[in-house]
Amino acid sequence: MRCLIIDDDEDLRNLLSRYILGQWPDAEIEAYDPLERDLPDASFALGSYNVIVLDYMLGRGDGLEWLKVLKQRTDCPKILFLTGAGNEIIAVRAMKAGADDYQRKQELTREKLIASLRELTASAVERTVSPDLAARMEAHSLGAKVRIPGIEVLHLIGEGGTARVYLASRENDDEPLVVKILRQEIVLNKNALERFMEEYAMVERIQSRHVARIFSHGNYQNNVYLVMEFFEGGDLSKRLGGKPVPPPEALKFFRELMFALGDIHEKGILHRDLKPQNLMFRRDGSLAIVDFGIAKNIAAADRTGAGEVLGTPRYMSPEQVQGRALDLRTDIYSAGVLLYQMLTGKHLFDGETAMEVAMHHLNTQPPPLPDHLEQYQRLIEKLVEKDREARFRNADEVIGFLSRKLEQLPAADDKAPAVH
Amino acid sequence: MNAEDYKVTVAKDLADLIPVFMKNRHKELDTLRTALAAANFEQLRQLGHRMKGVGNSYGFTHVSTLGKYIEDGARSGDRAALQASIDEYQDYLAKVQITYE
Repeated sequence: MRCLIIDDDEDLRNLLSRYILGQWPDAEIEAYDPLERDLPDASFALGSYNVIVLDYMLGRGDGLEWLKVLKQRTDCPKILFLTGAGNEIIAVRAMKAGADDYQRKQELTREKLIASLRELTASAVERTVSPDLAARMEAHSLGAKVRIPGIEVLHLIGEGGTARVYLASRENDDEPLVVKILRQEIVLNKNALERFMEEYAMVERIQSRHVARIFSHGNYQNNVYLVMEFFEGGDLSKRLGGKPVPPPEALKFFRELMFALGDIHEKGILHRDLKPQNLMFRRDGSLAIVDFGIAKNIAAADRTGAGEVLGTPRYMSPEQVQGRALDLRTDIYSAGVLLYQMLTGKHLFDGETAMEVAMHHLNTQPPPLPDHLEQYQRLIEKLVEKDREARFRNADEVIGFLSRKLEQLPAADDKAPAVH
Repeated sequence: MNAEDYKVTVAKDLADLIPVFMKNRHKELDTLRTALAAANFEQLRQLGHRMKGVGNSYGFTHVSTLGKYIEDGARSGDRAALQASIDEYQDYLAKVQITYE
């Protein structure tokens, strides 16, 4: 393996080299400092490398310009482009300019780098590829095949249980978008397909700043897809990182979640799968809920089947655990569990198995908040009441409580010691 | 900042890279001060951006956080905020405790 690393930062060049050598001890790495050397000219043996890692900010010059020039050469190897987080339009432009993969620099881990390089060099460096890698490469090529009017599908960025997720862009303005393509095994499952299509139909009906915008959906040669907005701020799980967020910020997120729930409940829709991964942030910091994959129209027939439990055990309401008929108070409970996690950095209930966690929701009283968060105790209690009759009845009631009871109080000290 | 914020855990196989990393951070601090004195906001923005990228990569999340503050402060030309962030960076570099695992 021969790798060329083009980055103006000595520390990053050192780090990337170390990661690569840790995986491929025989690798030959050339660290290229653009502050000291110009763009490689025609005499530079670009074709002698298997892969290039190219940074966006080169100190002098723009990595995108370097990318375009390098990619014009017939001997140019695959290029992994490093972008800044929260600036996905650069990723869009890089992929359109011929980058073979991109990574957000601030989030680049050893594992992500190796996985990306392994994919990019699979045919050149490894004789056989693992089934996982083969599946991922197939997913990449699937995205390239799907044609959506006005949309360019650029790059696989994630895989879920029901769909593969791609970075995409509008052709006329490079606006970053997300395309979800349903897995074939789900398309063949009539119930799952109906659920996916329902996600689009439901979310389209909702006009809310705090619900993800869906732009189109359709079926291209038996590939069912959904085009939705891209969230540059990532999800709540990433924001939490296992730590609490300052109470004023937690309350802001929670209030926006309540606005979202108010809007979807008004349309007769339950989310039923609220969790940190389904709360996304836009670049301006506003929150929106996504993934109505298991959302259920209150008026629709229940297609989950008798006794089938759908949802994430950590955030499940007691009635959800019991497989009972649900109403909007199930989302209120899950939102309460999320607020507890935001305030404390801890899960409301822990357990070694999903079943153990689920049983805690059914039988165990929630632990009290730490002393410095005491002013939120009543709110949490009323959100995660096991008896839904004693719980807040709807999002409006919660918002009213927040306005009446909390806004007159001084905010809890947001420098309070982190709870680990 | 509380005591926990000064603690950083770095992978053992990166230990030999840390002296260079720290030396570069101290150089960066000097450059930040010079750039602020000259009101060179473009340089401050670039330095903040670099801190943002390199800090998390090595596990120094607070370097990235301060990098973001400096980048934002440079964009808005907020000298007082920049001064505060640079002072905090100096304090952080003086007190950071590194553990290798």
